[in-house]
Amino acid sequence: MSARYGMVIDLDRCTGCGSCMMACASENNVPPLPQATARTGLTPMLVRKASNGMEGGARREVFIPIMCMHCEHETPCVKVCPQQAVEVDKATGIVMQMPQRCLGCRYCMTACPYHARYFNWWDPAWPKGMEKSLNPGVASRMRGVVEKCNMCHARLHTAKEKAAAAGKREIDLADYVPACVEACPTGAIRFGNLADPNDAASKEARSPEAFRLLARIGTEPKVYYKSKEAWVRALAESKSGSVPEVKRVEAGHAEVQHG
Amino acid sequence: MKVSRRDLLVWSAGAAAGLIVTPVPWKLLDDTSIWSQNWPWIPQPTRGPVEMKQSVCTLCPQGCGMRVRMAAGWPVGVAGVSSHPVSRGALCPLGFGAHQLNWHPQRLKTVRHRGGASAWGDAQAAFAKACKEGPVVVIDGYPGRAASSMLESFAQKHDGGYRVVLSAETRALTPYEKWSGVPASALGYDLENAKTIVSFGAPLLDGWGAPGRFTRLWAERAAGMNDPQLRLIQVDESLSRTASRAWQWVPVRASAESALAAGVARVLLEERLVAWRGPMPSLTLAEAAERTGLSADAIRDLARTIVARTPAVAIGNGIDPEIAALNVVLGAAATPGGIVRRSKRGAAYVPADAAMPSVRAALIDASVPWDFAPQTDAEVFRFAAWDGGSSRADWLLPAPGFLEELMDVPTAPTLAAETYAIAPSLTKPPAEVQSAAQFLGGIDPSLTPVDKIIHSRCGNLFHARAGTLIGREATPVAKIASAQALEEQLQKGAVWVGEAARPGGWRCELKEWPAAASGPPENLTATWSAPVLPPLATKLYQESSLREMPARRNA
Repeated sequence: MSARYGMVIDLDRCTGCGSCMMACASENNVPPLPQATARTGLTPMLVRKASNGMEGGARREVFIPIMCMHCEHETPCVKVCPQQAVEVDKATGIVMQMPQRCLGCRYCMTACPYHARYFNWWDPAWPKGMEKSLNPGVASRMRGVVEKCNMCHARLHTAKEKAAAAGKREIDLADYVPACVEACPTGAIRFGNLADPNDAASKEARSPEAFRLLARIGTEPKVYYKSKEAWVRALAESKSGSVPEVKRVEAGHAEVQHG
Repeated sequence: MKVSRRDLLVWSAGAAAGLIVTPVPWKLLDDTSIWSQNWPWIPQPTRGPVEMKQSVCTLCPQGCGMRVRMAAGWPVGVAGVSSHPVSRGALCPLGFGAHQLNWHPQRLKTVRHRGGASAWGDAQAAFAKACKEGPVVVIDGYPGRAASSMLESFAQKHDGGYRVVLSAETRALTPYEKWSGVPASALGYDLENAKTIVSFGAPLLDGWGAPGRFTRLWAERAAGMNDPQLRLIQVDESLSRTASRAWQWVPVRASAESALAAGVARVLLEERLVAWRGPMPSLTLAEAAERTGLSADAIRDLARTIVARTPAVAIGNGIDPEIAALNVVLGAAATPGGIVRRSKRGAAYVPADAAMPSVRAALIDASVPWDFAPQTDAEVFRFAAWDGGSSRADWLLPAPGFLEELMDVPTAPTLAAETYAIAPSLTKPPAEVQSAAQFLGGIDPSLTPVDKIIHSRCGNLFHARAGTLIGREATPVAKIASAQALEEQLQKGAVWVGEAARPGGWRCELKEWPAAASGPPENLTATWSAPVLPPLATKLYQESSLREMPARRNA
């Protein structure tokens, strides 16, 4: 039976600590290049900050972890790729990026409504000796290709191998936990099979507090968010058709910028 | 054959037209690009047998449980341990990149003397000479370890002092030391039973205590609930990470936390909202309102909210006797859900920032935060695994890095029960590296080495027959066959947890309202004692607006 792996992120529980970003970068051998900036760096998992726009004691802020939304329908990156370097895996629903096929045209980056794709501007490099600390399950990607979250595909492979060794066709979901989900100190990210109506994540995704970013454009993301706050849910549908961006105004203050 | 001008033009035009349709240059360009994308010297992950080791993080005194994935003998990833009784599967964001720290470009690998290269022999001779010439002070940043006990014995034997740089969490507990005689290192917060927590600027959700302890508690009892079981009230000058997630944020003027604590205490006493009777703060409600920028009514409302659901406890950030006094007024000292005495042991340490008159030399352990500078003219011997830059130490001595030395992990600050764990050495340190304890052991061979102290501590735990050993499953110590079995389990990542603190057993005598004092604001990176951040953390600071790049921290 084909699965539909997805996540539900409870924004009321997210403290914006950044553990998910660190765990993701470490798991996926993201190089710590000193020349990279917010425009050119690789952050397959990126926690953004947004506010209710008020000032003083009425101000409220929320942290929104953003990664590839693994769109199910009319997947924008798949539609524009001239190389068939992106595909939605029929067995898992994961949107896969194949760096070997990618020619680096970056159409997919432009097409992605969630700004979840990143271009490798440089050869991967680590301080001397640090390559010994790389995760052996994930290859380093070459310069000139686009990359993004693949829901820790290496971990899915490990779970599949374990299932195969035990003579099973289906993996045990307890063996497949993406790095960000494992790292979250408040348990804000729930991962599961959305195709299974009895799965805890699938049930949460159907709760009235659950929502998806830019649901109106019909891409059917498999990453859901959840919040009890109406203003947080309203952030998901910004008028300009893009996810809330945060512009740093001065230390400790941020404002929502749509664009 | 004569080549005419016309031929030349025809051939040139033909070559230009041919170049457009021939695939050769494009193919060459493509091949060059593919070849240069896959240079043979592009780093590739190390291949080799993969195994999981369970240990405890030693980068700060919180001692979070850590699963370390090793490939070919090198740590290649870390994750939390869900069965760990304190950290409960969580780690701080910096911990997730800690396995790369040993490869940091600023790793110290050679002995340095006043900026120039030197050798261990010279450092040892200089320190031995200093020991003969006058008193030597030893400064520790992580008291209670086996290595600390070596440092302390050495200082005592050589007429010097043993000083400690306490964590911000423990410093917040020092006022009770004066009022009760119980050392701050024996006190903790019983957060699990509290119903209201008022944080006066303490970054409870951002690096206060073990990240897994409070954040998990908050996620289970408060996050996203309109009427939470645990009310978190955050007093903060700006909308900090904790304030943005708190049940209530009380915005106050900068450094006005102390005044607000006094104002709240005055309301509680004047309106008889608490049972406690004693000295009244000298600050009037109007003065508190003026200093904090809040209205008198807002302070009254806050006081009533705090006592609406008890047990309530106030948590300060650093030493603030007025916040400690508010806890005494609230009856939070020595009661469940408040401040409890977790141990009958516990030493009263001399703080490292106290004056050091006529000291010949000061030895600073690698556990002392890099920013700490001793107020002394003495010759300074500074151990560190990384060079954080702008050091004024005379000697910079390379210490073992992450997971490179055997360490024991005593009870973390703020806990309500005692714990004990062991972090074994999982990788070999570089040849030129030794810890302060090894260095002192080289000078005075009569000191008991770290492994023997750990061994005897395990023996003591076994013979006391109290507490529980929590590994894959929880086993009461009384059911463990031998001291050796206990030590082996601890070496494999199990944690010993003592009996939960019983309320009472100590009292606070508050004879007069204390004077105000407030420390500088502290955050997660201030409690990170290593002088550098994991390279990935630096990268993520640069590439996201999630956090401001911490000041004076190196990439």
